[in-house]
Amino acid sequence: MVNKRVPDWLNSSLWSSPGPQPSVQSITPLNDDGNDRSTRSATKSSTATVNAVKAVFPVERPVPVPSASTRHVATRSKPEIRDPLSINSNNYHSDDDNGSSASSTTTSASAAAVAAAISSAEDISRQAQLCQELSRKIINMGEVRRLASQGIPRGAGIRATVWKLLLGYLPTEKALWPTELAKKRSQYKNFKEELLMNPSEITRKLEKSVILDDEGTAIEDKGALPRSEITQGDHPLSLGKNSIWNQFFQDTEIIEQIDLDVKRTHPDLHFFSGDIPFAKSNQDSLRNILIVFAKLNPGIRYVQGMNEILAPLFYIFRNDPNEENAASAEADTFFCFVELLSGFRDHFCQQLDNSVVGIRSTITKLSQFLKEHDEELWRHLEMTTKVNPQFYAFRWITLFLTQEFNFPDSLLIWDTLLSDPEGPLETLLRVCCAMLIIVRRRLLAGDFTSNLKLLQNYPSTNISHLLYVANKLCVKSAG
Amino acid sequence: MVLVLALGDLHIPHRAADLPAKFKSMLVPGKIQHVICTGNLCIKEVHDYLKTLCPDLHITRGEYDEETRYPETKTLTIGQFKLGLCHGHQVIPWGDLDSLAMLQRQLDVDILVTGHTHQFTAYKHEAGVVINPGSATGAYSSITYDVNPSFVLMDIDALRVVVYVYELIDGEVKVDKIDFKKTTTQNAN
Repeated sequence: MVNKRVPDWLNSSLWSSPGPQPSVQSITPLNDDGNDRSTRSATKSSTATVNAVKAVFPVERPVPVPSASTRHVATRSKPEIRDPLSINSNNYHSDDDNGSSASSTTTSASAAAVAAAISSAEDISRQAQLCQELSRKIINMGEVRRLASQGIPRGAGIRATVWKLLLGYLPTEKALWPTELAKKRSQYKNFKEELLMNPSEITRKLEKSVILDDEGTAIEDKGALPRSEITQGDHPLSLGKNSIWNQFFQDTEIIEQIDLDVKRTHPDLHFFSGDIPFAKSNQDSLRNILIVFAKLNPGIRYVQGMNEILAPLFYIFRNDPNEENAASAEADTFFCFVELLSGFRDHFCQQLDNSVVGIRSTITKLSQFLKEHDEELWRHLEMTTKVNPQFYAFRWITLFLTQEFNFPDSLLIWDTLLSDPEGPLETLLRVCCAMLIIVRRRLLAGDFTSNLKLLQNYPSTNISHLLYVANKLCVKSAG
Repeated sequence: MVLVLALGDLHIPHRAADLPAKFKSMLVPGKIQHVICTGNLCIKEVHDYLKTLCPDLHITRGEYDEETRYPETKTLTIGQFKLGLCHGHQVIPWGDLDSLAMLQRQLDVDILVTGHTHQFTAYKHEAGVVINPGSATGAYSSITYDVNPSFVLMDIDALRVVVYVYELIDGEVKVDKIDFKKTTTQNAN
């Protein structure tokens, strides 16, 4: 069952660069964070990568080299204790993990189980640490960010809360949470009431405040109906700029567009699509959020793709084990969506395409980044095969990689992206660069067509490895 | 929130060439859900034009219509309201409230829309409301030459109707509105 093709990880710069670190050993110390994701994503990625993992780990397992990375100070002691346990209790843990994973198909699960054992133990430790952090009165954001950047374990359902913290929706002082949440949620409710009303209702409201209801008098008898003036000179066929009717009809176009996109979001997930009322109500929530956003931001309104950025946020918040939070997921998602987009609004504005803040300049930054780290690949891509980065990077960057990987993997990537204290852009560029470097062998061997095809349909890969390489790029450029 | 356009007595091409430009600029497709026309269009081209405004078009036959297959009267239900449509030349005396009330009871509708007099009127009596949208082109009628172009747009919202009256007076479009609520006891008798 060994897969004949070269595993993706072999293509990484680790092997090809003449760097000082011996690549084999360098994997080991960072197994801490590498492992957990490898299993979690091993469950989702192809068996080829599981086999690759299997190939590496049996060699490394018996020698747990103490972590060289300064990031894992707290967990350093843990692997050494856990290793002998895991080696001895392969079979215990294999059930454990294969129960939670779909990779029970791999027959030689022992090594994978070992890795899984380590990682599940890692998961549990990180989960415990995160839970501990979250239970403090005043949350140490630096600590949370550090832990989150390694991936938030699914176990305790804390992802929703952590994301809300990372996006600045929840304040660091835990005592303030209830008031903040209540305030924001009622604010959203007001937005909805104001903005989702149709013009008939609006005119009725305006009238009520002006005219007293004197229904009884003229209407009872036979006779001509009294004519009255229209409120504020507004009528349904008005073409005036300030006419609420006109605005309403102009908005209907956008609302139609939003409708179409919402219906097309993640057709493979039951959460979002299908005939069940749950999916319909989720779609309604997505629609409301996007409509409110479009109305509050006449500058960018709605652009196709915003629904893709919204989907993971809403999914996570709606699946919050805390009932109250799950019920108000719509309001929370709205504010977090606004926060997330705040740094990236310019990517969606067509007029700003060519400006310093537009998408083109961000793509150029990515290009520069690649040039710094892997000049050979850069030259091959841009000069030799003339693959303009716009062809593939546009979607990578504007949609935060949601379209390149399957849903669970993209949640993991988002963990890392959101945990960057300076905003997701830097990390995003690094991950994109890592994506290119990982498949460099195939890119270097390919021509325009095959490269473009490869990059536009990025092959599924080991997410932990991808994030590891991305992290290394950061270290490299710093040094 | 359903928008219903009521107009009629255009008499194109015999008595008028076309709708006034200001009216035409306001009537764009996509805003209106139903169009009801009292009659006397008179030719097919006008029918096609009205069809572009909205696919749901209802017409009754006026005495000068070239299309003979339009019905004499029509009833339709929009939201909570029953609307009746008739050209009005059949009801004599023309434009008389009591006779129109008889027609309304006969059709059993809440809102009766008729034309023929080329004058905008809106009456209420115990059975309901009678609306005459006037002539959309300002064509002369059998009774008078002094006709202002006018039409009516109804905004039907649950139990409430807001009737917007559009008139072209001295080259300017003037808009008024009339509010009408349907009380549930009205149709008890």
